Amino acid sequence: MDPMIEGLLLIADPFNIFLIFVGVVVGVTVGALPGLSSPMAVALLLPFTISLEPVPAIAMLAALYCAGTFGGSITAILINAPGAPPAVATAFDGYPMAKRGEAGRALGLAAVSSVAGGVFSLVVFLFATPLLAKLALQFRPPEYFALTVFALSMLASISGRSSLRNLIAGAFGVLIGTAGIHLTTGVERFTFGVYELTEGIHFVPVLIGLFAVAELLNQSQSLHVTYERITTVVVKLPSREDFRRVWRCVLRSCGIGTFIGILPAEGATVAAIMGYNEAKRWSKYKEEFGTGTPEGIAGPEAANNAATGGAMVPTLALGIPGSGTTAVILAALIMHGFRPGPYLMRETPEFVYAIFGAMLLANFMFLGIGLAGAKVFSRITMIPRGILWPAVFVFSMIGAYAYSSAVFDVWVMLISGLVGFLMLRHGFGPAPLVMGLILGKLVEESLSQSMIMFDSNWLRFFESPIVLMFFGLTLASLLWPVLSPLLLRRK
Amino acid sequence: MKVHGEETPGGRGGGGQGDASSVPLVHATDLKLCLIILAGCAALYLGTTRFEKVADLFAQDVPPEFFPRLLIWTIVVLTVLLPFEHLYLRRRQKDIDKDRRKAVKPIAYITGALLCVVVASISVLGPWLTMTLVCVALPTLWHERRLKVVIPFVVIFPALVTLLFSRVLAVHFEPGYVLPALLEAWQWIR
Repeated sequence: MDPMIEGLLLIADPFNIFLIFVGVVVGVTVGALPGLSSPMAVALLLPFTISLEPVPAIAMLAALYCAGTFGGSITAILINAPGAPPAVATAFDGYPMAKRGEAGRALGLAAVSSVAGGVFSLVVFLFATPLLAKLALQFRPPEYFALTVFALSMLASISGRSSLRNLIAGAFGVLIGTAGIHLTTGVERFTFGVYELTEGIHFVPVLIGLFAVAELLNQSQSLHVTYERITTVVVKLPSREDFRRVWRCVLRSCGIGTFIGILPAEGATVAAIMGYNEAKRWSKYKEEFGTGTPEGIAGPEAANNAATGGAMVPTLALGIPGSGTTAVILAALIMHGFRPGPYLMRETPEFVYAIFGAMLLANFMFLGIGLAGAKVFSRITMIPRGILWPAVFVFSMIGAYAYSSAVFDVWVMLISGLVGFLMLRHGFGPAPLVMGLILGKLVEESLSQSMIMFDSNWLRFFESPIVLMFFGLTLASLLWPVLSPLLLRRK
Repeated sequence: MKVHGEETPGGRGGGGQGDASSVPLVHATDLKLCLIILAGCAALYLGTTRFEKVADLFAQDVPPEFFPRLLIWTIVVLTVLLPFEHLYLRRRQKDIDKDRRKAVKPIAYITGALLCVVVASISVLGPWLTMTLVCVALPTLWHERRLKVVIPFVVIFPALVTLLFSRVLAVHFEPGYVLPALLEAWQWIR
């Protein structure tokens, strides 16, 4: 049977459809709650998927990822508090439009643009993933090493205030990944006599700690923040006039979002901000931006959802996460015994197509759920924080424990959370550390294999044109934050 | 040499605005951060010197300490730039002090300490009692006084989570000491 049909049939199972629905509802809810984010929700949901088959498990996480990105726009529009970072730009025009009594129109525009972005990027995903995987099959360890170094260097331009801090956090993530028994020699590294560390530090507790516990400590300082909520919401689909006005902008943002998503480490937040800026740059009504213009909603929403499908391309085809959330999904794939990268497409193509099917279905589900339930989702911000965050901690604690039924992992989760809180305070994002942690093993393995291949002669790295290309791109991405202002000034 | 943050109230940096000529070369908070990270790197480097030695032939020219040391040196090089980064960020109008200008509120420290106590008590209390402790202690600490919300939460939520994980997801939880002891005592009383 054709792998694509096989993959889609896997998703057509009623139980899988139910789990995708659950993923969408959880995703929209989490996305709509300020403080809770998609990576956090995916990390918290990971332990629930341990006992599931891989297809429904990953399908549910992928659905949550898509829906979480959209969910943020609901609160961005209705209470001017983006539920998730990718919805930051949506609030610029969404809230002013809602304030003048057009909340339903704003939500309709956001939902339809999000679906357009999501579906466009999934079409690209469908064609680009097999092609990229086929190309990557020719990669030997040196090419893989150069690729992972390039992916880590992209942390310099990931969203956040400081490229330097992102790189330091990424390098620390890789270093944490070296703890445990060295594969080549069997020597224990950084175990400090602790038996549990010989297996290395598990991904899942670290992810939960960094994304959930660190944010809990952060939120404990702002428990009494209240939001002014727009209550009268009747969601309307965009009118023909709205469509005529925004279709070019949506198409442009689809392209931008998908491209940004495919770049390693770049995520939906960068895509949304670029989508908004480009919408403004090309608009005939520049002066209306910030006052509630339809392009100001459609641009970022199409771009941030397009980034979700785009980010899955390097994640599945190369084993290199396209964003913070896909880094967590990559961890889930590893947890379920998969080897993300070109072999995934060669050995289990139906699995990749099943993920495509799940994400496509999720896009249409959140359109329905988002439109019908916007009013309900806007109310979830009324859940008292004094109840919400203890519940998050309970899930964090039990989730970390459930991973390998060890209290040690709960300590790892807590310590990661405390460190993550300090990191956030000093401008170090958790996403770069997670990416470093997940890529760490791949970097070391490919470096060791390359050194063995080259008889420890570093110079032989430069014999491969692909390696040279990736090293060139690495240099460019490292220098980009420094050079880009100079280049822009010259223009 | 001027140190950024020394002349501003609280010593937490100026935040990126103001006269460019008055910008100090070194950012005080980042300098401290840099020293802490370098100390950590030194400790980890020392750790790599204690890795078991293996023959070159066995290590195939890639000894176990090679990659961690490479990473430690990378972190050291990047970290040394931290105290000067504010000069570059200032030019790009990015405020690295935004989140740390205000001191951490005591409630965050108390919450962190409480979470440590909770995790330390898992082995003794068992998961169900620990979850109940979280559901009682955190809302109380955070002045959540709506009993109509808190009581059902304390009663229902831990029970639901325990059921979900132990029955549906088949996760084995160690019972701890307190609950079995209480049950035994109850049996004895009866």
